Order: sequence, then C-alpha cells, then structure tokens
Amino acid sequence: MNVHYYPGCTLKEKAVNLENSTIASMKILGCDLQEPRGWTCCGAEYPLSEEKIAGLAAPARILRQVEAEGGTKVTTTCAFCYNVLKRTNYALKTDPLKHKRINAFLKDDIAIDHDTKEKTTGFPPYHGNVSVVHLLEFLRDDIGFKEIRARVKRDLSGLNVAAYYGCRLLRPYNEIGMDKPDDPVIFEDFITSLGAQVIDFPFRQECCGSYVSVSRPEAASEASYRILRSAKIEGADVLVLSCPLCYYNLDRQQNLIKEQHMEFTGFPILYFTQLLAWALGENTGSLGLEEHCYNPAPLLESLEKAEVAE
Amino acid sequence: MRKRIKRGDKEKGYTRSIVQRSGQNVYACYQCGRCSAGCPFAFEMDILPNQIVRLVQLGQEDELVQSKAIYLCASCFTCVSRCPKGIDIARIAEAVRETADPKGADHFGPDDIPAHRAKDLPQQAYVAVFRKFSK
Repeated sequence: MNVHYYPGCTLKEKAVNLENSTIASMKILGCDLQEPRGWTCCGAEYPLSEEKIAGLAAPARILRQVEAEGGTKVTTTCAFCYNVLKRTNYALKTDPLKHKRINAFLKDDIAIDHDTKEKTTGFPPYHGNVSVVHLLEFLRDDIGFKEIRARVKRDLSGLNVAAYYGCRLLRPYNEIGMDKPDDPVIFEDFITSLGAQVIDFPFRQECCGSYVSVSRPEAASEASYRILRSAKIEGADVLVLSCPLCYYNLDRQQNLIKEQHMEFTGFPILYFTQLLAWALGENTGSLGLEEHCYNPAPLLESLEKAEVAE
Repeated sequence: MRKRIKRGDKEKGYTRSIVQRSGQNVYACYQCGRCSAGCPFAFEMDILPNQIVRLVQLGQEDELVQSKAIYLCASCFTCVSRCPKGIDIARIAEAVRETADPKGADHFGPDDIPAHRAKDLPQQAYVAVFRKFSK
C-alpha cells in the first residue's frame, strides 16, 4: 500500500522520534509513505480572520501538489498540520470567495524542475478534494484495528494508558469532525487494539497550553499540569498523544511544572506511534525515548521483564 | 424622564469592524458564560471570554485592545464548541488582536524568547505564536 504523507516542519527536526516511529510502524504494517514533492510548512495556525486569507495559500499549495501527483488522500501525524489542511479544504469547498482568491493567487506559482531547471506556471485550480486524514483515521479505516491487533508482538495488557486528544484533533467539530464531538473513541479504540488498558480521564480533550507556552510559559504549564495530574489521579502509567506541541508542553516543560508544583515528580509521555512501533516489535533503542524529559523506556522495559518472569 | 443609554458613532464603528473581520454575529451572545467556564486560560485572564464579547457589543475598543486576555487565547476552540449560540469566540479574539495598534510594535516577537529556551521549542510553536501575537 502506498499513501501520501505530509510530515510538517516539526517532524523533521524537533519531533524526529515521531516521524521515525511513524515510518517504522507503517513499514511493519506494509504501507509506504510518500511525501509530496516540494512541500512547505502548512502555517501551523489556520487564519481565523476574514482579512488574512493569505494563510490559506501554503496548505492549499501542498494539497494541490498531492493532487498533481495523483493522490486522493494525504495522511498526517501532527495534529496542527491535520487541523490546518483539513480546515483549508473546508474553506475552499464552502466559501466561493476564498476559493476564487486563493486559486487566483496560486495560479501564478512558478515551479522549477529539479533536474532540467525548466520553469512552469499557470497551475490548475484546487477545489479541496484531497481527503486529509490523520494517521489514527488511516489506521482505523485503511489498515484496520483488527489487523493491528493481529500483528502486535508484545504484551501490553499491564499498561494503563491515558489517551490524550488535545484540541486540534477534534475542534472545531463542524470542520474537523474526526470523531463524535463529546465522546470521541478513536484514540481509545487504537490503544485497545494494541492490547493496553485505556483509562478514562476528564482532561483528555483539554488544551495543553499550545503556543502560549512560548509567550507565557508559566501560564501554559499550569494548563499542562492539570492534564498530567488528572491522568495520574485516574491511574494512568503513561499519557499518549499525537501532537509535537502537546509533547513539548507536557513532557519538555516538566521541569517548569516541577518548579511550580512541589508534589509533581514527572510523568511519562509517548507519541501514539512510539507505542505502536514498540507493540509491533521495535526495540526501545530505536524510538528516540532518550530525548524525552521523563524517559519512558524503563516503563516499557519493565513490562517486558514482567512478561518474561511469567 | 428616564435616561436612555446610547452608544456613540465611534463605538458602533468598532463593533462593526469586529463583526466584519471575525464574520461572527456578536449580538447573538446572551452572556451565559459557558465559554468562560470552559476556557483553559480563564484563571489567568483579566477579562473573561464572555466579557470580551460583551465589550465588543458595547464597542469598548480601548479596554479590549489593552487587555491581557486576547494574548492568552490558545485558539483551542473549547469556547466555540460550548457556545449555545454558535459564536466563534476565537475568531472574535483574533479580530480584536488585529485591531490592536496595527502599526505598533509586536505584542510578542522573536527577541522576547530567551536564548536558553529558543533551542528547545518546536518549529510549529514559533510559527503559531508569531502568527497570532505579532504583526
């Protein structure tokens, strides 16, 4: 199976462990990921103002490139990219004025061929028809959670997992609509398919602080702390997420949370692809776990030891 | 005779400009406060999300653009998903930020990030924060 895959800027540098575990686990599941040629940053934030529609140009260009390469579907693992690409499709489909203005702008793009240096311009309009799917949706709909269950090599039954959606995977509901708005289950179903136990925790859809952690780190870490505290109280061993910025706020900022809250001693965080790759048989050494502020490797290895001891 | 409270022409103009920029009908708000109850940053805000909408209705430009609250919005859309009237408050906050001294200095620019943090931040955080909080 071959599918288009849009990594986004962060996965190439600060979230290499997310990208590597994605590629490794998709390879095990027999799926090749193909990046659209010449992709750029999607802009990270969907422009909310009616005046700032230039922010739609970059994501529309990426999606147009996928279409030009014959793709009808593009997968992403980063929640921000997923949100921006999907909302851009929605805007182009539902707002004729935005469709007209963006396509008028993108028509005059100049593409330079890498080998022949030949310039082309006059691009066809993009109508928002490439379907944008998160890797979780792709695993559910195209690969199938049953298939994953059959391929899991490790026993995760002793692991209590808090599945954390955050904001970008679900909201706004009318434009994203990844799952049922009030009671999403896709992440929980995915964790269950790996054989781990899902714990219900009330903060699974709360915001981790997002980009406010750049400008107001102490305010954002308070929001992050509430999520981690909730997961811990409900009995989770690990929190699993899909967004590099959530990872930054919930893992890399743990030292700041420790400064603010004496009782906080750290909490392990994993990307969902890291847990997937590990369950499918990858070793902890290849998952980039040493980059985590709180290293989850001992937790995963302790599960393995328990398995051997039995 | 009772006094009737009126808004001046200037205030009316401000409300209209927010309505145009955000595409939201701010007059639909009846101040139930569900947005503020759900907001993950309400604990740090000087004016709450429902108060932002009320101030827009009243055209209180100065109070809005000088508030800290508009720079605490993380666009997480919790308020949007809870609003019984379907008002997109994240769009209203964005519109207010846009009207805040368009020619002035950035609220938050590259120089505001301390060097020891700059290495650790993910790229998407930079792109997002400058899109939201700088001109």
